[in-house]
Amino acid sequence: MAEIGRVRIRVPSSIKPGDIVKVRVLVIHPMEIVQRKDGKPVDKNYHFINRVIVTYLDKEVAQFETSQSVSENPFFTFSFKATEPGVLRITFLDTHGGKYEGTADVKFS
Amino acid sequence: MERGQSTGEITRRALLRALGALGLSGLLVPLLGNPRGVSAQGNLANLGPEEPVDATMKRLFGSRPIKDGTASIKLDLPLIAENGAVVPVSVDVSAPMTPQNHVKAIYIISDKNRRPLNAKFSLTPAMGQAYVGTNLRLGESTEVRAVVEMSDGTLLQAKREVKVTVGGCGG
Amino acid sequence: MPRCVLVAVPWIVAGALGAAGCAQSEITMSSAGLPPAPWVSGAVPEARGDIKTSPDGKKEAVRYSGWTTEDFSRFRTYDYDDPRPEVPVAKAPVPAIQGDPAKGRRLFLDRNLGPCTGCHLVQGQDVWPAGNVGPDLSTYGDRKLPDEYTFDLIYDPRRVFPHSLMPPWGAAGVMKPEDIVHIVAFLGTQKSPLPPEKDPERDPKTRARPVGFGDNLDPTNNPAILRAEGADELWSRKGPAGQACADCHAGGALPAMRGVATRYPQYVARYRRVMSLEDFLTVHSPETTGLPLHEEGADNLDLTMRIKMASNGMPVSLDVGRPENGAALERGKASFHKRVGQRGHACADCHTTENGRGADKFLGGRLLANVQSGLTRHFPTWRTSQADVWDMRKRMQWCMTPLGTNMLAADAVEYAELELYLTSFDQGKPMSVPGIRH
Repeated sequence: MAEIGRVRIRVPSSIKPGDIVKVRVLVIHPMEIVQRKDGKPVDKNYHFINRVIVTYLDKEVAQFETSQSVSENPFFTFSFKATEPGVLRITFLDTHGGKYEGTADVKFS
Repeated sequence: MERGQSTGEITRRALLRALGALGLSGLLVPLLGNPRGVSAQGNLANLGPEEPVDATMKRLFGSRPIKDGTASIKLDLPLIAENGAVVPVSVDVSAPMTPQNHVKAIYIISDKNRRPLNAKFSLTPAMGQAYVGTNLRLGESTEVRAVVEMSDGTLLQAKREVKVTVGGCGG
Repeated sequence: MPRCVLVAVPWIVAGALGAAGCAQSEITMSSAGLPPAPWVSGAVPEARGDIKTSPDGKKEAVRYSGWTTEDFSRFRTYDYDDPRPEVPVAKAPVPAIQGDPAKGRRLFLDRNLGPCTGCHLVQGQDVWPAGNVGPDLSTYGDRKLPDEYTFDLIYDPRRVFPHSLMPPWGAAGVMKPEDIVHIVAFLGTQKSPLPPEKDPERDPKTRARPVGFGDNLDPTNNPAILRAEGADELWSRKGPAGQACADCHAGGALPAMRGVATRYPQYVARYRRVMSLEDFLTVHSPETTGLPLHEEGADNLDLTMRIKMASNGMPVSLDVGRPENGAALERGKASFHKRVGQRGHACADCHTTENGRGADKFLGGRLLANVQSGLTRHFPTWRTSQADVWDMRKRMQWCMTPLGTNMLAADAVEYAELELYLTSFDQGKPMSVPGIRH
């Protein structure tokens, strides 16, 4: 079983100060799509991630607004500039009030 | 590499408070629908309308001019998608990402999806590079576009056709 | 008393020689390594191949959610005890109606029938996606073949080409004779000159090949890895018998199971049959820890993945010298060449390249995989189109419905031995589980 909200983040193993670092992240989530009955959309509270917040060194650096058009078990990749050692935090918020988080320690080598 | 943990529910008020502390609560106006409380966020009224892409473009950008961005936008998509459930897309914009001149937002729009706006990526200069990617769900073969909004308000667009394929024997 | 099977049964004779030709001669096939009694399935209810009969006598197949419930009992299956032949070769009179080319075109593209475009390209920018397993028919009308000839060919190709891969559309009852008359009329309109090709992807000969879904072992790419990691908890969970897997297999699934999966599928003496890991877990777990690990249940799939991951990078090492494995492999090979179902297809028709068969060609939009490349070492696999994990058995069971044959239970011996034959092509190649596929 992989329960909703499990997060995996990958950053390169060797980062130098000032590097622009590519991050890959996956989160387990059903990303429910709109059901249709007799050709019309069914009204219910669909369960999907609608917001992703990326913070680095406790400052927000990016925010994604996402929809049901993002695949189940959403995957995202993006860059950030590694200026100091510290925590990269990715927070996922969904339509049912769920909040899921993953962190990566940015260390220089 | 760190593993993430699920930390469970958080109230909208607490979240607003936390984000307010970061000076970000103003960003909590969803583009994709009207907020009406956490419990109803996923309901049809909050999802935004099913509409043709022209209506989406009008709603997002009004009559602002949208320039051809093919020179500076690298939009990566498969020519043929094996299925519509997972279609990888990435956007890489050559832009300095300085406070004076950076990519503020990247919109991913799939023309034939019932709700064409798939995602909006809001970036800051701290990203270092305007590069984002995700996996899309496409309802059918369609053009997918990346609309890039620069810090000075300029809009640029690049688009590509993706054909969604299907098997010959049910798959 | 050993199961009475296979000696001089027609399908084995034809099947064993299927790849080479259709000569008739007697072949004796060993029943060594077959369990003495029919196997009682330990699979989840939707994976047992059950057929239920409603009060009004209508039969319905019990299959996975979303799969067709159509019953194909009247057509040959993979069951070793199924003595029936293929659909008999047949001819029918041509109905005396006027063929309508427009109707014929709709039928040609209809996914509820062939679709014919699964194997054959025809004209039209809306033809997406046609395959090239069969000849390009875009200029069929140029040949001015008699309508009756084309009708006979579609009704039952085997009357015209004895070794044809094309299903007997009329003889098997997929198409009505009237349908075929319309299709014949449509084919007559497929003439030169061809309109200019605007889209290189439309023609399977010039179409780009699929690129796949990236690194299967990257946990930020393949959700199946997170599912498999969830099985670590299962490994140390105490079952109703008061035991956990970890009690006998110390140190966690990965270190304890290193190398184990490379030998599967194999004959397991205790159960007197060939088993995959999934088959083995289904019976081994209830007998030891008491935990049910029903085949095709999520726990069985996740634990199978986890155990196989312990052998990632190691070469597949089947014990082909063992006589029971050898006999099973021969039976599996015969199954691979056996024509089954309403469509009369064998696995070999799509998954080998000999004699114009389909591997490395497009079936509709899908490139058909070649058994020679080794198809099993990345199973179980994440399927992006299903957002779920599939093992080899579910993949086999899936093929059954387009073939028009009822599926056997997931843990059926026939499937296990077919899987053993398929795995022989992975021998020596490094395991890489879980895969990620369409």
